[in-house]
Amino acid sequence: MVTRMQPDLSVRIGKLDLAYPTLMGSGCYGSGAEFEPFVDLARIGGVVLKSVTRAPRLGNPTPRLVHTPAGMLNAIGLQNPGIAWYLAHDVAKFASRPCKVIGSVAGFSVDDYAVVCEQLAARDEIHAIELNISCPNVASEGETFACDPRLTARVVRAARATTGKTLIVKLSPNVTDIAAIAREAEAAGADALAVVNTVRGMAIDVDAWHPRLGNVTGGLSGPAIRPIAVLAVYEVARAVKIPIVGQGGIETVTDALEFFLAGASAISIGTANFTDPRVPETIVDGLSEYLARRKLASIRDIVGRANLGFANAYQFEGDEG
Amino acid sequence: MPTLSTGERVHVTKIVDRRTPAADVVVLGVRAPQLARFAKPGQFVMVVPPAGEVASVALGIYEAQGDRMSVLFFVSGKRTTELARLQEGDELTITGPLGNGFFLDDAPSEVGIVAGGVGVASVLTSAQELLKNGCRVQLYYGARTQERLVDMDLFARAGCEVHAATDDGSFGYRGVVTDLLARAARPPRLLLACGPSPMLRAVARVAAEIDIPAQLSLEETFACGVGGCWGCVVPIVRTSAQAPSFPPAVLGGSDVVNARVCKEGPVFWAHELRW
Repeated sequence: MVTRMQPDLSVRIGKLDLAYPTLMGSGCYGSGAEFEPFVDLARIGGVVLKSVTRAPRLGNPTPRLVHTPAGMLNAIGLQNPGIAWYLAHDVAKFASRPCKVIGSVAGFSVDDYAVVCEQLAARDEIHAIELNISCPNVASEGETFACDPRLTARVVRAARATTGKTLIVKLSPNVTDIAAIAREAEAAGADALAVVNTVRGMAIDVDAWHPRLGNVTGGLSGPAIRPIAVLAVYEVARAVKIPIVGQGGIETVTDALEFFLAGASAISIGTANFTDPRVPETIVDGLSEYLARRKLASIRDIVGRANLGFANAYQFEGDEG
Repeated sequence: MPTLSTGERVHVTKIVDRRTPAADVVVLGVRAPQLARFAKPGQFVMVVPPAGEVASVALGIYEAQGDRMSVLFFVSGKRTTELARLQEGDELTITGPLGNGFFLDDAPSEVGIVAGGVGVASVLTSAQELLKNGCRVQLYYGARTQERLVDMDLFARAGCEVHAATDDGSFGYRGVVTDLLARAARPPRLLLACGPSPMLRAVARVAAEIDIPAQLSLEETFACGVGGCWGCVVPIVRTSAQAPSFPPAVLGGSDVVNARVCKEGPVFWAHELRW
């Protein structure tokens, strides 16, 4: 007698258990509440909140968005009310989310990251922390951390010392050797890596003879960057043993599968939510169907399967012997 | 999914009528009972784009009646060109209704509506509601040419007093519609406006000069349309009821905060904007 089982989509990222392997990308999903009328949040793994900094930030001047072929440029500039106001007024509301809630921390010094990480991680409403060391849209800072292996190590060590909660470090694709940065983050105590943030880009208004973004430069997202992101996941997965949250232009279940097969243990959806808020549920349904069709019991069974010379021991958990 | 009292959700609709009131202007009517029922004047929807397109299209709710709502748009780019290809019977997936509409609860008895170009797409339901409540409505309608004064007769038949202006003088006043407004013999006591940014700024100026409040429906490039990405902001005073959750200004700090056009707006009071 064969019992037809629903494939298991749950994954574990560090100490964080996710019912579904789908996170909603930081800065793309507000606090989750904004999308609640349009999607069942109980059917996503978790929301990565918009990044918060030590001091309030008004963000960049407009235009902050430009639609480009197969993607979009954004330069929001980390608009947020600052950690003190955030803790006092906003964080309590996150308790009601039917999915995991991951706080995102950004900063301009090692100390910034440590202070904000400690305060945010101390709250029960926050299940894990993502360190946004790769925001491309703040003048001369921000991304500096993710582009320098030593700075990456320093900021991760400092944040690690403040909390036992799962620490996900978000890496930048705007580097020569992302694997080297990934190794530093792992050695400094990261529990997982988010791969990747947006790709730096620019668009110019040919009538006004002026860059189209208020911030001049921006971060490119959407399917335009997917092959870049898939390669980054592939390379990072060969360099570290900690799990990877793959992201960059995922719109369909096929896109998501590319990331899992390259070595991601979970995925993150950002820009696609703007096209159609049903995308996260469509992808979860598609993953179930894909696994069932191939008679695979778990999403974990396919992680890294297209990655030759795959080094990620976690991914092969339960698959050895 | 719970039933929401606001009707907010993703609606898979069918196009039940399509008309082109002028060249490159399209009105798509869809069967969408929830949307039509809950839509408030001045709200908008996000239309899920045809396959292969990344960004959804934000469109004002043009008409909402019974189980039918419609959108009006100018064909001006790749996405609107694709939308314009759709025919009766085709499917259209819509998220909404979104944003706060115009604030009509305490409207005075004489209201002026200023519409410029495609801005007309967001003001018809406001005119209808005000007229239903016994208000007198003056429509100041500006367009490039007579042909682009789309559906002017619809407003007239609804009971609006129509004042038109065209850039080329092919109909009504030759010049910008806000000049016409500034010369109004009997100025309205409240202005509602939707149109291109230069027109809205001019409306704000005229409103300040003749000392009447004005509500402006802003247009910005949207990504999400629901408040998730903070891409479509406009600076407003922190004391505004529409200011997002943000700490009070520190000593020497700015008195403005960036509000989301899609979430806190798209309608803002002219005197609260710092743009």
